[in-house]
Parts: sequence; structure tokens; C-alpha cells
Amino acid sequence: MTEPPPTLSSFFERARDGKLTAIKCDGCGALAIPPRELCAECGQRRWSVVPLSGDGEIASFTVIRIAPRGHAGDAPYAIAAVRLVEGVSLLGRVVDIPFDELAIGRKVRFRPLRIHDVTALGFGPL
Amino acid sequence: MRRVAVIGVGTTRFGKHDRTSAELFASAGADALADADLPASRIQALYYGNVVGGETEKQLHTSPQAASVLGLPSIPTTRFETACASSHAAFRHAVMEVASGASDVVMVGGAERVLNVPTPDSTEYFAYASDASWEQTLGLTFPGVFALVARAHMHKHGTTEAQMAAVAVKNHKHGALNPKAQFQKEITLETVLSSARVADPLKLYDCCPFTDGGAALVLASEDVARRTRRPIWVLASAAASDWMLLGDKRDLSRVPATERAAAAAYRQAGKRPEDVDVVELHDCFTIAEIVATEGLGLFEPGTGGLAAEKGWTSLGGKVPVNPSGGLKAKGHPIGATGAAQICEIVTQLRAEAGPRQVEGARTGLTHTLGGNTATVLVSLFGRD
Repeated sequence: MTEPPPTLSSFFERARDGKLTAIKCDGCGALAIPPRELCAECGQRRWSVVPLSGDGEIASFTVIRIAPRGHAGDAPYAIAAVRLVEGVSLLGRVVDIPFDELAIGRKVRFRPLRIHDVTALGFGPL
Repeated sequence: MRRVAVIGVGTTRFGKHDRTSAELFASAGADALADADLPASRIQALYYGNVVGGETEKQLHTSPQAASVLGLPSIPTTRFETACASSHAAFRHAVMEVASGASDVVMVGGAERVLNVPTPDSTEYFAYASDASWEQTLGLTFPGVFALVARAHMHKHGTTEAQMAAVAVKNHKHGALNPKAQFQKEITLETVLSSARVADPLKLYDCCPFTDGGAALVLASEDVARRTRRPIWVLASAAASDWMLLGDKRDLSRVPATERAAAAAYRQAGKRPEDVDVVELHDCFTIAEIVATEGLGLFEPGTGGLAAEKGWTSLGGKVPVNPSGGLKAKGHPIGATGAAQICEIVTQLRAEAGPRQVEGARTGLTHTLGGNTATVLVSLFGRD
């Protein structure tokens, strides 16, 4: 029997508790952000949940000033693409860093957020 | 596989309409049939693009509705949804239906209605084309997606906000020559640079508008097309995808799906980037045009901003890009956009584009990008 791969909801449950995780291919060791059924590197289907440090640096960023209906009251807010030290990248809301101090290459650390009652990723200063 | 031609084109005026998307498509479809000089009874299938009908019009099942409103209630119809690339995806599949011999004459169309809802709602619906769990939860918008691309491109290549603004100025200048464009007025660099911020570093005039509109094409096999007045040949139609999550893209300054689709299209057509005389590409944001001109091989990586600034992509330049005004000035009715770009290239290759005609154009290219850069289609066209 093949174990089912870790689910998206289990990832967000761990993230809500402050534990950022990824999945690692048991075949070739490639890291991926769930959900993922087959490894894009080697085609294997067996994955293990592995912890991520949560530390990384900003790869790109923006400040959203015109927001969608569901986030209209939040604007302006910053979103960054963050390259983690393990090599995978994630998007998150940037918190506790002034907009004018955002920069590509700036080091940030994972923060769990609740945005409109939904668990979401955040990144703040070290 | 058989050769396929576009033998009829039609679009509505782009802008605000008090008509449903099905009505907008049907108007364009009837115009395309008149342009092809064929009776509706010759159409054997409809390939249709519509994106947010379920949200803005509370309407699913839009392809049979569109065919019914046109007056073709019995042909097979299929709706394609690849975000903003929907009707270009529809086109690629329609080409395969004719090329395979399954049908001789088919229609491709698309339509969208969004100006009947407030901007925060349309912004929300468009954001549904990003990942629900990872991206929408953050409040990521489409200007936000391309702002991330812009910041990465600026960092890597030194691209400036003024170079991005030059794309908007150029496309508005072209749009002023297009009687069907949503915006038919020229703007200045200062208009763009001083406009309200939407998603830094993108400002209002870096962004295409929300638009209502429809577009339609009639495709035919070579046998049928040879009996029409001015067939424009489909030389290639290729699609490519990329990872759905922006975070999974290794280099945000590039759109690898554009590079892959372009390589496949040039290979199919036996053409090279330098063979292309006129381009309609997906300038949903000014930075998107810059990155697309690089990904299509028209300019070296990192020089797309310079190309816009120097006028190399203007009418009269090295390779005119978006003579229609592009999504920026012509407008972007998302489900119709891919088909509308093809309408413009067909018009250009027929030498019927009037004041915005690219003189002597023999080979044209269309490029349509879907959503968060995860879908791209590229097609090439030629004349006898």
C-alpha cells in the first residue's frame, strides 16, 4: 500500500501552530510545497513531511493598494516571494517591516497569520 | 495534417456594454460570418472562451448559450477556461479539429462582461485565477502578481518605471488609431508616472482596464479557404504551462511558459523571431509586454524595457508590438482577448488596418498569457 501524500490541510494545520513544513521525495530527496502527488524530478510517489527553518530572504515584493473585495479593508499591505534557506520559495504577507524598508535580499522569518479567519503565511523581521 | 486558415474575423467595440457576454459574442460571430461571406449553416463547431461568467453574470454553460444566441443551436460547443488565455486555447484546439479533417469550418470565439460589477468584485474574481490556498488567502491581486515580476526584472536588469511607462504611452498611441479600442486617446509618460499606485511599482496606467467585449473567428480547411477572398494561414499554434504557484517559479523576472510556447510555435512554422513583422501580445501590465518581447525572442533578455523606450516596438519601429493598442488601450475582455488579438493580426496581414497598418507585414504572431503566468499560447500567421 502506498501512503497517501501529506494533505494541504495538514500543512496549514502545522503552519497555524507555527511549524512551517514541506514534503521531501523519498526517492530523490527533492523538496516540494504540498499538495504534490508525483515528484516532478524523479516521478516517485512517496513523500515525507520535513520541517523548514522558516528563514529566508525576499526574492520580490509588492505593496497592494487596490485590494480584492475580501481584503479591501486591509490595504495597503505587503506581499513578498521569499526564498527559504532550504531552497523552496513561498509567498507571504510581510508584517512588522515598514514598506520603505522592504528590499530584495532582505532576510525575513516565517510568522503564522490568520487573515479573515483563514490560516495564511506571513514573514517578519528576524 | 491539413493547412488551416482564418477566413473571417469580427469584434465588438471594446468598453462598457449593456449586453450579456452571449450577446457580445453573437454580434462578433455574425460579423465574422459576414466577413467570411459564409452562411451560418456552414459552421460545424464552436470553440469558446469565457472566464468569469459564473461570477459576473451568474452564468455557467456559456458555450451552448453563446451558440444559441448567435442562432446555431445544434452544433457541438465547448467552453475553454485558461484564465486570460481562454479563447487562444480554444483557437488552438479548433485548429486541430480542422487540421485533423474532423471538420472543415469551425468558429472560435470569446466574450466577457465585467463592467456590470464594482471594481473590488472584479478584482476578486480575477484573483480566482491564482491559487486559492496559497495566494488568494494573502490578498494577492493580478497587479500584485505582475508587480512581483516587475520588481524582480528591475532588480536583475535595471528596468525602470519610465521604461514600463513607455509601453503604456506607445500602446495608447496605437489605440488612438483603433476605432474599436476602449481608450482612443494618447497619454504622456507623466500621466503614467503620476497615476495612482495599484500594486507597487505598478500604477494605474501600467494596468490594462476591465472591459466588456466579444470576438470571433471563422477557421476553414485549405479547400474551403482557397475559395475565399483573402485567407490568412495558421502557421503554428502552441501552448505551454508552468508551475501554478508563483513561489515555485525559480526566476520571477522571466515567464518560462512564453519561452516554451514560442519555441514550439517557431519550430512548427519553420520560422525565427526575426521573421516576425507584427505582434499582438499580452500586455495586461506594462511589465508583461517587456517580459513577453524578451520571451518571444524579439529582444535579448533584459532589453525589453530599452526596446519600448527607444520606440523599437512602436508602429514604424523594428518590430511593431500591439498596433491595436493592446490590452492596455484596446481593452481586455478576458475571455475574448486571444481571439481579438488574432482578429488584429489577420487584419494586419490582409493589409486592412488603415492608419495603424504595419506596412508590408507578411508574418504575424499572437501571444496570450493566462493568469499567474502558468498558461501561455503563441500562434503564428502568414499570407499568400
